[in-house]
Amino acid sequence: MAQCVQSVQEFIQDSFVPMVAVLCSEDAERVTRKNNLSFPELLRPFCRLTSEGHLRDPNNQVVVVKGLRISVTGINTRPPQSPELHRLLSQAVSVCQPPEGSPANVITAGDYDLNISATTPWFETYRENFLQSMPASEHEFLNHYLACMLVVSSREAVPTEQFLKLSQEQHRIQHSGEYTHPKWFIPNTLKYYVLLHDISEGDEQRADSVYEDMKQRYGTQGCYLLKINSRSGSTGADEQMPDPWSQYLHKTSIHNPELYEEYAVSNAVENNIGAEEDGLDPSIRDGVSETPPLQLDHPTDAGYPGNDASQSVNNVDETRPQKQASGTSHTSPTPRGTCLTLNDHDHIRQFIQEFTFRGFLPHIEKNIRQLNDQLVSRKGLSRSLFSATKKLFGGGKVPEKSIAELKNTAGLLYPSEAPELQIRKMADLCFLVQHYELAYNCYHTAKKDFLSDQAMLYAAGALEMAAVAAFLQSGAPRPYPAHYMDTAIQTYRDVCKNMLLAERCCLLSAEILKSQVKFSDAATLLIKMTSEDSDLRSALLLEQAAHCFINMRSPMVRKFAFHMILAGHRFSKAGQKRHALRCYSQALQVYKGKGWTLAEDHINFTIGRQSFTLRQPENAVAAFRHILINDSKQSAGQQAAFLREYLYVYKSMSQLSGDGSLPQLPLPCLHSSQTRVFFGHERRLAEGEKQAATHVSLEQEFDRDLSQLWRELEERVVSVANRGTVPITFQPSQCCLNSQTDNLRYPLAVVEEPIIVEVVFRNPLKVPLALSALSLLWKFTLKGFSDPQGGATGETVSNEKEVRLLIVSRLFVPEARLKLLPHKTGELHVLGVVYNLGTGEVGNSEGDLVCVRGQQNLEIQGPRLNMTKEEKTSVGYGPDRRLDPIITPPMPLLELFTLQEIN
Amino acid sequence: MNCPLYIRSVPTQGELKFHYTVHTSLDVVEEKISGVGKALADQRELYLGLLYPTEDYKVYGYVTNSKVKFVIVVDSSNTSLRDNEIRSMFRKLHNSFTDVMCNPFYNPGDPIQSKAFDSIVSTMMVQAC
Repeated sequence: MAQCVQSVQEFIQDSFVPMVAVLCSEDAERVTRKNNLSFPELLRPFCRLTSEGHLRDPNNQVVVVKGLRISVTGINTRPPQSPELHRLLSQAVSVCQPPEGSPANVITAGDYDLNISATTPWFETYRENFLQSMPASEHEFLNHYLACMLVVSSREAVPTEQFLKLSQEQHRIQHSGEYTHPKWFIPNTLKYYVLLHDISEGDEQRADSVYEDMKQRYGTQGCYLLKINSRSGSTGADEQMPDPWSQYLHKTSIHNPELYEEYAVSNAVENNIGAEEDGLDPSIRDGVSETPPLQLDHPTDAGYPGNDASQSVNNVDETRPQKQASGTSHTSPTPRGTCLTLNDHDHIRQFIQEFTFRGFLPHIEKNIRQLNDQLVSRKGLSRSLFSATKKLFGGGKVPEKSIAELKNTAGLLYPSEAPELQIRKMADLCFLVQHYELAYNCYHTAKKDFLSDQAMLYAAGALEMAAVAAFLQSGAPRPYPAHYMDTAIQTYRDVCKNMLLAERCCLLSAEILKSQVKFSDAATLLIKMTSEDSDLRSALLLEQAAHCFINMRSPMVRKFAFHMILAGHRFSKAGQKRHALRCYSQALQVYKGKGWTLAEDHINFTIGRQSFTLRQPENAVAAFRHILINDSKQSAGQQAAFLREYLYVYKSMSQLSGDGSLPQLPLPCLHSSQTRVFFGHERRLAEGEKQAATHVSLEQEFDRDLSQLWRELEERVVSVANRGTVPITFQPSQCCLNSQTDNLRYPLAVVEEPIIVEVVFRNPLKVPLALSALSLLWKFTLKGFSDPQGGATGETVSNEKEVRLLIVSRLFVPEARLKLLPHKTGELHVLGVVYNLGTGEVGNSEGDLVCVRGQQNLEIQGPRLNMTKEEKTSVGYGPDRRLDPIITPPMPLLELFTLQEIN
Repeated sequence: MNCPLYIRSVPTQGELKFHYTVHTSLDVVEEKISGVGKALADQRELYLGLLYPTEDYKVYGYVTNSKVKFVIVVDSSNTSLRDNEIRSMFRKLHNSFTDVMCNPFYNPGDPIQSKAFDSIVSTMMVQAC
């Protein structure tokens, strides 16, 4: 597993936080809407307490609550349903990419140096979102609402009446049985009355007097006067204001799926409206262009005349501007909390503090005591009675039915207020307020009870939490019971078929094991949790497992690589292309250059494909190139497929990039050293034509003896011409240069006489390649040998001959002869060849052929230097000037002419 | 180091999977070698036994004194191959490999292209199937 930002303890504490519901009056909602925030959103950044809280457990021991976070959500918030959840999670993961240029983390294991991202923020995001969107279940109470805030605006005509209304509403929601959502922890939920006062518009004295009244009614600990909106609207908006909401922005959309959907819908509607307006009345728009068409800061003012008579109409109207406001706040970086000053932030912080310490924690303390009393009394009397009766009847609390149900105990067994659940409730309460010791004991007892009842779902839940509580106990009086977790996961998955719970359990346990440096166990756990039903989850877990392998004391590099590939595969199946590409690239580091060609080819091929779909054609081409240049062990069919893919990608890249210099092609291989160069006209064998007076042609093999003979002859002729001496600069004329001739000097070529270059190809693949429009690439520098033509313009050298089509297969090694005709004197350098590469499959018509144009350089290495001592001990190569002829002015050319009628 | 000298699989489809399996098993081999070194149990025992069972295959390992690794992957359903058979297969393989190494034209570290080695492997595979 990769490193995480949070510590394990923080992570687990944040995964299970006490839940508080919010019920807001319309007026109050409007007050917070001025900031583009709902009331729960408004509170969210302030929900972690900075100071310590205290409460007493049933034994009158003081429990210190540190860094408690509470979760405040709207009462109608519903965790997203399965398909919706999938979409949200995959969105969250795909948005979260590794930062560009993040510090590289190099792990050295054996002879591997791996560059791996140490953190995996996408996994943390996934986990966080996943845990937050766990649906409330019947068998555990951790995410059931413990309290409800009733929020009423001070502008209300009679706030107390409104409070009463909301209170009844809450009671109805909890007790009428009409609602399956939300779930409540205890029958008598804590109600906390909040009077919301808008400083910018309300009457402060009236608010204060209402608050006094409330104190009388609900007690000082049950109500609060929250004053916000010190600043009216955006007037004089201070740009320096911190925006604590920004980091919760994304979470908000996850957390409030209704809002999120609204946003999508309203956005579409808004756009439509906008378009209509634009189409109809451009003049009007121009007229009001000084002020933005949608005044975000006062959308509510216009819509609310504030009279009660039109309440029903208002209800309809109300939603629209709000939606629009929320919609735009998502799309554009509209500052949130524009009406709030730093003072207001402090007010909110104080409010949360007050609520938690004066209202919330005492409420929990009271309930723990109550539950404890119940349990103690039950333990004394009923427990023994129950067990006695159990023994008597040999069945249990659910007689008769129990035998039938024993097989089907994965589901729910107890009604929500059953006495068996009270101990679990108490355990959950203790857990939420960080009293882990008591929580562990309760979970442990609950586990035994549930197991004896064969209530497997309940037992698994208790096991899971018992393990977590045991781990969180400070001082660690007992080791972390990993087997509890294993049993819980197995039960969740196999007996209850509840993958969500199994996954949660797995995530928690893996994190705990990781913190205890039991990477091997964590990896096993994570791998076990992968399954066919969710590609995204499997991919993320496999990746974490891979990180576990690499973090072990003796890193398992190959296992890491293998699981990375599996993860990449699952990522690509889940449509997470970027993550898939990253996984494969990291795995490639292990496989690269180790001779595991099939695996390497597979990885390179996948990287190529993914890069291509992600519009990174350069990387794609590079990856495909790797597959083709190494002597591939793939079958012919596979090679043909790779080649086609490569050509396709290459073509689309060259179309994108436009034409600069042509890119280098990897295929076919050029045998540079076997290149032959011939100066002079080609031999014309036809009768009655003039021939150059030479015996040399490209058709012949090089014959050392013969060339030696000619060389001596030439030397003798020269010495005769020079009256007996051979000049030092003497150089035998060589018409044909190859790897065996002396190529140290620049050869001479004559203007208007052709130069023929023969290049030899080799095809490493098992499939034929087609080369077409093959021609030479050259560079020419003008140099006058007392040039009689002066600076005459025109082509310096022309490519006389191009090879139209050449099929290169593995067995047939053709050579291509290409001709140049210099028109000026100077220095010519033949650089390489340019050609179109295509598949040489027979049966394809000419038009179908996918072919790409590219070049390959001709670089000829000279003979190894072996003369002096230094040269012998080092490895150096001499120059080879075969391809760099000097073009001289016209020279006489002896030609001959054979006549037939000799005999 | 840890480059494949010789890989053969029958049948040839799904070869990629076997390459991955063998490569991954090298981690277990290394773990076992280092473990043996610590315990100093029996330096002369080259056979490492079952490396790990997967759902469909069993992976066995063997390491020569010069740390050349042999890995055999067999079908789990093949019950005729017990530990002893596998052990003798490895021994045969090791003998043949020694012959390859004795070839003065063989450059240690290069992929093995010996026909004799090839035929030994083929006969072993035919027997095993």
